[in-house]
Amino acid sequence: MSYLEYNVKTVPAGWRKVLYLNWPLVVLLTAVACVGFLMLYSVAGGSMSPWAEPQMKRFALGLVLMFIVAMVPIWFWRNMALLAYLAAFGLLILVEFVGSVGMGAQRWIDLGFMRLQPSEVMKITLVMLLAAYYDWLPLKKTSRPVWVFIPIAIILAPTALVITQPDLGTAILLLTAGALMMFVAGVHWGYFATVAAAAAGGIWAVFQSRGTDWQLLKDYQFRRIDTFLDPSTDPLGAGYHITQAKIAMGSGGWTGRGFMQGTQSRLNFLPEKHTDFVFNTLAEEFGFIGGISLLTLYVLVLAFCVVAALQNRDRFSSLLILGVGLTFFLFFAVNMSMVMGLAPVVGVPLPLVSYGGSAMLVLMVAFGLVQSAHIHRPR
Amino acid sequence: MIRTPLRPLARILEAREKGENPDAIERENLRLRHEEMRDRARHRAEGRLLVLGVMFVCAFSVVGARMGVLAASDPVEPRAQATGSSIIASRADITDRHGRILATNMTTHSLYAHPQQMIEPIRTAKALAEIFPDLDEERLIEDFTGKRKFLWVKRKLSPEQRQAVHDIGEPGLLFGPREMRLYPNGALAAHVLGGASFGREGVHSAEVIGTAGIEKYLDAELRDPAREGAPLALSIDLTVQAAAERVLDAGMKLMNAKGAASVLMDVKTGEVISIVSLPDFDPNDRPRPPTEGEPGDSPLFNRAVQGVYELGSVYKIFTAAQAVDLGLVSSDTVIDTKPPMVVNGHRIGEFRNKNYGALSVSDIIVKSSNRGTGKLALSIGKARQKQFLADLGMFEPTPLEIVEARGGAPLFPKQWSDIHAVTISYGHGLSTSPLHLAAGYTAIANGGRMLQPTLLRQDGPVEGARVMSEQAAKAARSMLRKVVTEGTASFARVPGYKVGGKTGTADKPRPRGGGYYDDKVIATFASMFPADDPKYVLVVTLDEPVETSGSKPRRTAGWTAVPVAHEMIARIAPLLGLTPEYPPMSLERLIEVSR
Repeated sequence: MSYLEYNVKTVPAGWRKVLYLNWPLVVLLTAVACVGFLMLYSVAGGSMSPWAEPQMKRFALGLVLMFIVAMVPIWFWRNMALLAYLAAFGLLILVEFVGSVGMGAQRWIDLGFMRLQPSEVMKITLVMLLAAYYDWLPLKKTSRPVWVFIPIAIILAPTALVITQPDLGTAILLLTAGALMMFVAGVHWGYFATVAAAAAGGIWAVFQSRGTDWQLLKDYQFRRIDTFLDPSTDPLGAGYHITQAKIAMGSGGWTGRGFMQGTQSRLNFLPEKHTDFVFNTLAEEFGFIGGISLLTLYVLVLAFCVVAALQNRDRFSSLLILGVGLTFFLFFAVNMSMVMGLAPVVGVPLPLVSYGGSAMLVLMVAFGLVQSAHIHRPR
Repeated sequence: MIRTPLRPLARILEAREKGENPDAIERENLRLRHEEMRDRARHRAEGRLLVLGVMFVCAFSVVGARMGVLAASDPVEPRAQATGSSIIASRADITDRHGRILATNMTTHSLYAHPQQMIEPIRTAKALAEIFPDLDEERLIEDFTGKRKFLWVKRKLSPEQRQAVHDIGEPGLLFGPREMRLYPNGALAAHVLGGASFGREGVHSAEVIGTAGIEKYLDAELRDPAREGAPLALSIDLTVQAAAERVLDAGMKLMNAKGAASVLMDVKTGEVISIVSLPDFDPNDRPRPPTEGEPGDSPLFNRAVQGVYELGSVYKIFTAAQAVDLGLVSSDTVIDTKPPMVVNGHRIGEFRNKNYGALSVSDIIVKSSNRGTGKLALSIGKARQKQFLADLGMFEPTPLEIVEARGGAPLFPKQWSDIHAVTISYGHGLSTSPLHLAAGYTAIANGGRMLQPTLLRQDGPVEGARVMSEQAAKAARSMLRKVVTEGTASFARVPGYKVGGKTGTADKPRPRGGGYYDDKVIATFASMFPADDPKYVLVVTLDEPVETSGSKPRRTAGWTAVPVAHEMIARIAPLLGLTPEYPPMSLERLIEVSR
């Protein structure tokens, strides 16, 4: 059912919308963010600066943005989806030429008051456009090849740009989120099986070719892959992050060393301790209990998203809510696997906890969209 | 798929009969079909969500389980020498025969810079130039403000220098640990140890590789990780080596020589207890090879091993020993040494044209008669003489465990005619190193067995190949003893120690084949002690010595090399654990003392 088909009069209007917000979700998000403030306060050695205070200000700004986005009817956002995607795509192209270089990659556009990371914006606009596309597309055409290749192009174009930055983490997130969106939209599973088989075959061929005459990669590239897959071979070089991160986790044990007692993070052994590796600080100070608690918060956020998506009979809204939930899930799943040595270090922040501007604001806007879809759902 | 037609004719006709609007039925059917389609879509979406849900659960479980595993793990510090670091920095220590350190490693720091991370590159460059006067300030500023991302500033820092650099407080200056080779005794045994320097260098470690001496010869062994740091024990005795160096240095200066060498060998094992070449150098700061001048005069040149010289009359004893060994003569056989003696058209002369008349073989050695030795050589014959010298290792470089040994290849005539047999019998026309000579004397000292000289500590006596009979060796030893008691080496009478030996004074050849110098000699004293049961062989060689205490300058070994050897034996024999023996006092002396 599309929004034109339901009675708009049943949708709350004016300030009454505030009452219809998905309040549990707001509370959960605030709780996750508070864990972040606590950790940033701790890694700064018990100080609000330099990380905790700006992070709080940004979260407050994010909350405001979320409310503003939530107040705007969801059909407005649906109509804006293509425009937003094109704008984000334009920014991605722009960043190739005028972006600032940081951490060895060209990712940011300096706006003066903040540094905008177009790839972060792209994550949410991609979800919006895919949701709008599948809302517009008649159901029976979903699995037809032509109509499958259009969303693939929509996903691959920004992914390619992000890889050239280079920002492998974000590229993986975009690709996976897009593929999962197509999956929940109901594209025939045969496509996914084909792609998965082709990818597995390709990887197998590359590794089989090692040491033979038709070697597909250079030796140094293989060595890089080796270190990438098993950083313990180079504990002071490429594996340094992950080795120190694991030490932090191990020294935390079950109950942790106590708030502000983490030596790994506070004595600067742990790199990126306030951004990508903030979870290790948490695990060191609050142990397994603390880590599982944060994980539970994330699970609850995701669960509320799924429930909201199921409640919503509007196809665009439910796809959008699922898409935002998926992106959120991918963020913390990749981050946590990375900091615990399950996956290679690719540079993905822990959502709402890691210190960082673009990612947090974009996520809050995304949850604003979820709230808007929830408020303006057909009843 | 059976489809319900949107306008089922039967029902429409029925409705018309009843007067109802048939459109309602069509709308009803349309609604039902939409609902059915929506339900199917919803069903599929829910199926997809279920799959997704299973994936979520799996992901959560994996992450949670991993958290538990890590929480339960003991934190393990990474080891710097894990498989990843390909540079193995540990190098085994080198000790003397009693385990005293000759070469070890010291951890210092190297200094490198990341100019991109520098806060104040110009101030840093100035401060660095102040701490290290050898660094060029302009160059540093250029490097620090340029595009370079990494550069080495200093390879080795002392702790004081490191603190001073630390105090600059520049985060772009970084220290890397460095294992450095340290020779705590300075120049002691410099030519044996050689030196070491850095090979491949990384930020966290650097290879230490041997550049000369035993460090280079046994480089692979010293760096072998399987040694696990077990030190390498040399045959060198640190105290004896130190004493020998001091005495030889003083002797070299006293005798106005430009260079000197000494070799002390254990006659039972072939171990080199001490080996000295002067002038020497400090292996901690090994000088660069000289680009001009005679390479043989460089401090890096090992005179004892690399230097091949015509050593002169010291070789006569080999001829005498072989003649006795072959049964041609005995010590008492009288030989006519009167002139003239002409071989292949060359007149054979004596020192200062003396005429010794008829001499016993023993006296030929004591008086050092060239003609007498030459006649012995002619009766031995060219082939047997050459074979004997080959058995004594006189034609091959010594197998000593330092890289320089390979460079000490003896020089000898290709065609071995009678004149060569005669001159070589008294030590001319064959150039060998002092170490060759010492090894040859060892065979006489130990009763006829040839031993290979070695720098590695041996566990017990070594059985060498027999080159002469016990009797011949014994006869040769008593001749050598007589040289000291009655002959040219009277200065070698060391109180308490019986020394036997032979002097040799050889004119130095002019470079580029212009005959011999009149006033430049190589003076050698080859000796063994205690003479009746020798345990050690000592060879002392002085390069261009002049003894000037008399009215005329004296250059013969008896005046130069022998007194130095005397002092050396007097100093090192007690260190080697030899107790002095004195002859019983005469009766008158005894009465005098007791009174």
